[in-house]
Amino acid sequence: MNASTAHKRYVPARDVAIVATAQTPCSRSYADTEPSMIMRCVNSLLDDTGLQRSDLEFTIAGSCDYLSGMPFAFVSNIDGVGAWPPVYESHVEMDAAWALHEAWLRLQLGDIDVAIVIGSGKSSPGRPREVYALQTDPYTMAPLGLDTISLAGIQGRALLDAHVATEADFAEVVSRSRRSALANPNAQVARDDTIDALLAEPYFSAPLRRHDLPPISDGAAAVIIAAGDRARAITDGSTVGFSRPVWIRGMDHRIESHHPGLRDLTQSPSTERAAIEAGVHEGGIDVAELMVNYSPEEIVLRRALGFPSLATDDTDINPSGGPLAGHPVMATGLVRVIEVANRIGAGTAHRGVAHASSGPCLQQNLVCVLEGDR
Amino acid sequence: MTHARLEFPYTRTTGPVIGALLTAIRDGRIVGSRIGGRVLCPPMEYDPVTADALVGGEPELVEIGPGGTVGPWTWVAHPTPKHPFDHPFAFALITLDGADTALVHAVDAGSIDAMTTGMRVQAQFAAEPRGAITDLWFVPEGHESPSGREPHGGDTPPVTSTEHLISLEITEPLLAHRVRFAQGLLDGKIIGQRSSASGMVFVPGRGYDNLERVLLTEADDVVCSDRGSVSAFTVITPVQYYGQQETEPYIRASILLDGADQALIGVDIRDIPVAEFRVGMRVQAVWRPEGERDVSELDNRWGGIWEHVIERWQPTGEPDADPRALEKYSF
Repeated sequence: MNASTAHKRYVPARDVAIVATAQTPCSRSYADTEPSMIMRCVNSLLDDTGLQRSDLEFTIAGSCDYLSGMPFAFVSNIDGVGAWPPVYESHVEMDAAWALHEAWLRLQLGDIDVAIVIGSGKSSPGRPREVYALQTDPYTMAPLGLDTISLAGIQGRALLDAHVATEADFAEVVSRSRRSALANPNAQVARDDTIDALLAEPYFSAPLRRHDLPPISDGAAAVIIAAGDRARAITDGSTVGFSRPVWIRGMDHRIESHHPGLRDLTQSPSTERAAIEAGVHEGGIDVAELMVNYSPEEIVLRRALGFPSLATDDTDINPSGGPLAGHPVMATGLVRVIEVANRIGAGTAHRGVAHASSGPCLQQNLVCVLEGDR
Repeated sequence: MTHARLEFPYTRTTGPVIGALLTAIRDGRIVGSRIGGRVLCPPMEYDPVTADALVGGEPELVEIGPGGTVGPWTWVAHPTPKHPFDHPFAFALITLDGADTALVHAVDAGSIDAMTTGMRVQAQFAAEPRGAITDLWFVPEGHESPSGREPHGGDTPPVTSTEHLISLEITEPLLAHRVRFAQGLLDGKIIGQRSSASGMVFVPGRGYDNLERVLLTEADDVVCSDRGSVSAFTVITPVQYYGQQETEPYIRASILLDGADQALIGVDIRDIPVAEFRVGMRVQAVWRPEGERDVSELDNRWGGIWEHVIERWQPTGEPDADPRALEKYSF
């Protein structure tokens, strides 16, 4: 599969833009409820746009009850949006990047113009490594406690064995991400570590060291999207939020087998396909935010998205530091969209790509192309 | 810190393909399935390339292993309680002899120094199989356990279901508004929160007003009456599911405290006969004596531990409240 494949991708009939974004800082343990994190984001979005809650015609959230171990937590999360009058609501038990996808498709129907998309997660109360093992095959993997860290370690080894990457390449991803995060007020891990210093650390799940893993984070994020002229009206004259709409030019997600033994872990054909369907290759990319939960994933993703070399490609990759600097599970992918949108909304970038993943070893991948008006 | 354990005991039917794999493993063998010219392990119920159903609807099972070759692997230096071993081990993609695809499983290698990509491993089978994937593990070739089971015939019924107990540990500090609520209970007071934005009294407080989207603080705390009206109830006849501790029918009631705008929910009623219990009934808390009130099980979640601080709710004998006025306070 490559960009020249004769194939007409889905181009949205309706222009839909991100008009405002909000996120909480990532913290190891947020000392309040998940609805209160959401409430902070929702209120910030309404303040920035001047919209009323009644202007939000569709509400959708991505969250996971297993994380904080509270059945029906997704129901009380709606408290953060305001419980009355009732909202027109949907929910995905997935990263909120997939909630954004649903909201974007929902606005394509044409009958409503404004939607809010929320992602939230409190990983701190539980044991994330044991929780994530439950997303694997329930017969052949979950009973082994097969966790995403171990599977990421297997993927890292696959890259080493295939001579696609070295452990120093993994450390380079971490070093650069943590350094970039120094400029990100929402980052949880931001520091200047040399590659040599990182390589001197002991293995956690060889070939991965602890810093090749994301931090355990609590956090929430949300965006408001709006269609066409409504998007322009919201951003026109805005003094606190975006001064121009950030158009969603394409969005697509693809999934691979849940059996890692049926995949080539050094490749990400689902990302390659989603990138083509989202139109990544139809213009230059100024900025890319990739959901690199484990450092080897960046190498796989850069190859799949078409900027394999940091030396020759001038795309700014994970300027926020990415998930290695803060991993608010269920919002992490939406934060990638937000980080790209913020740069386009502020006019420091024109066209960018956001990526989100779900499942172990980049099993499922979403790619979103964002662009500002010239 | 508060601690909770969330458990879901799953019993899953296996179907003919996974059932055949788990039956074989129970019996000291491993099988794959031939699909599209390849032998896949784990065996599949469909062609993973074309998504076609199996030809003839039946799997073509092929015995594979017990030897295999290690592909990419990781050394699990810090096992979780859910892992197959409590000491360091490897997870690896293992291509069993006779198979074309790899099974992800555990290698009990003793040391990371014993692990290399391309190494040979041998299957080991549990002496007391449970009919699950955990009946199997691998060791480096030449390190087979002498106590390992030999393959034996399928003289027992095939595995048709497999059990997996999901058990999650939740540990978190009691949130600030819950700390104040707990202290109130110890003091014989029910602490709620009054929102100046909506004027509503929420009890217990949640740290926010979900109508006006306003965060609430200690300054919004109010002491609520411990007297109120039954606004809804249900009679629960216990079903003996996993973890059930109840055996006799009991009442779970919602009680709207006087002056509150939100009912207490899930209040246990044990000593008022079902035939007498009704919406509108006026009740009052009978507190346990100071020193006998226990809030150790209070967490940040829903529901209450009312019975640990309030001995019972006693009818006051007052005339009933108007049930129609209580309709909107079911929850």
